[in-house]
Amino acid sequence: MFSIHTRQVLARAALPILILLAVALVLLGLVRRPVVDGVRLRATDILAPAYQALVYPQTRVQEWLVDLRGATDLAKENVSLRDENRALRHWYDVAVALAAENARLKNSLHWIPESAPQYVTGRVTRDDGGPYSRAVLLDVGSGHQVHTGDVALDSAGLLGRVTEIGPHTVRVLLINDDASRIPVTLSGSHGDAIMAGDDTDNPRLIYYPQDHHPVEGERVETRGQSTMPAGLPIGTVHYLAPNRPVVMPDADLRRLDIVRVFDYGEDGGQAPDAPGRVKVRRPSEEPSLPGGLPFPKLPGMPETLGKGGQ
Amino acid sequence: MVAENSTPHLHSAVEPRQTLRRRLDIIARAAMPSLFIVLVAILLSAPFGIPGQSELQFGIAMCTVWFWAFSRPRSMPAWAVFLCGLSVEVFSFGPPGAVLLSLLVIYGVAHHWRYGLSRLGFVSCWLIFSFFAALASFFQWALVCIHAFALLSPAPGLFQAALTIGIYPSLTALFVWGRRTFANPDQA
Repeated sequence: MFSIHTRQVLARAALPILILLAVALVLLGLVRRPVVDGVRLRATDILAPAYQALVYPQTRVQEWLVDLRGATDLAKENVSLRDENRALRHWYDVAVALAAENARLKNSLHWIPESAPQYVTGRVTRDDGGPYSRAVLLDVGSGHQVHTGDVALDSAGLLGRVTEIGPHTVRVLLINDDASRIPVTLSGSHGDAIMAGDDTDNPRLIYYPQDHHPVEGERVETRGQSTMPAGLPIGTVHYLAPNRPVVMPDADLRRLDIVRVFDYGEDGGQAPDAPGRVKVRRPSEEPSLPGGLPFPKLPGMPETLGKGGQ
Repeated sequence: MVAENSTPHLHSAVEPRQTLRRRLDIIARAAMPSLFIVLVAILLSAPFGIPGQSELQFGIAMCTVWFWAFSRPRSMPAWAVFLCGLSVEVFSFGPPGAVLLSLLVIYGVAHHWRYGLSRLGFVSCWLIFSFFAALASFFQWALVCIHAFALLSPAPGLFQAALTIGIYPSLTALFVWGRRTFANPDQA
């Protein structure tokens, strides 16, 4: 179709043109990252069934291994389960007593009950962190009502927040990602801090009061800002080195399987309007004098003055 | 290393007929390296939980493009590298364009120096590849830092570079065997 000369020119020009296109993609990623991430989410949506099929043999083998390990160690496991059961029964009684007491106290205080949050449960489709970030994709099915900023939890504690939403899949940025900053409260010392991810397994605690350092082993909970409610369990404080407190997350961030995404609503903690602020009225909106003039219209008086009396 | 067209045409007059099946066979064998990259990109994006999975995705794509670009450029044209890079980009969540640009640059280097690289020994090729793999990882790290507006730890980048350099010998062994057998269009 083309002459030899044209084909040679085209062959030489191909690589520079493709490199320019790649540079354009890099620039697009810097300027409009959500566009690229949207395409990636759609690709994951399409491949979600294939991923499940690919991982199916691995999960089956892991289940068999767990069964096999249990079968070979039945006697020892029975003993440990009995002990655990005894301890759990004790804690169950304590929990029931505390729940009853809590309900009674709330009743006497006229406590306004919190609205139950909506949630969806999804399976982790894939871990899409890459070398520099920690995130997972969840398959939540079609027609979901998940919003950006919703909170992801597993059975033990907080995992992260939803950052991107696709038709079937949502992306959850984990609490140990470098971009994650979550306001937290330390339950023991009642101090506030920011939990900042740094791509390691244990997010750091920063911006805590300098005269009120976090205490080793105390519980870390969410503080309750923006879409995140207060009191969600995150983990415990641990000092890796002096003056370097980190959080040991309750959730197992390395092996995530079933994750719940909660929608606590958009209006988390919005303050009412400031008191004492009076709306300024324009002169045209000034109400006319009630009842008009207390005397009848006199001859020679302008029309506007006598209007209220009619 | 042997340059392209390793199988000499001794008896061109007795070549087999160009049937449809043979043509498809030739195309499939020539497309084998590109298909390998795409399949690996999809496989390694599945949630197996293998440590270093995403780093491996990048490393295998780099090794494959480098080897085939100087070993048999007809099996790895520039547009195929572009499409492979795009597929890796779609199935990963790194900074957009970093893998694609790295693959095209390493393709350009290998393609430009293909005659020289074919004469060099394995170790020399490996050393040159190592330099560019480290450079590509550094570029990716720099892009992530720009995205995050912060100086991130270079440890993941170093790990990625080390993994890419480390898997090169074993992948080369596979590709050398493939170049003679299943990925050789001359044997169709």
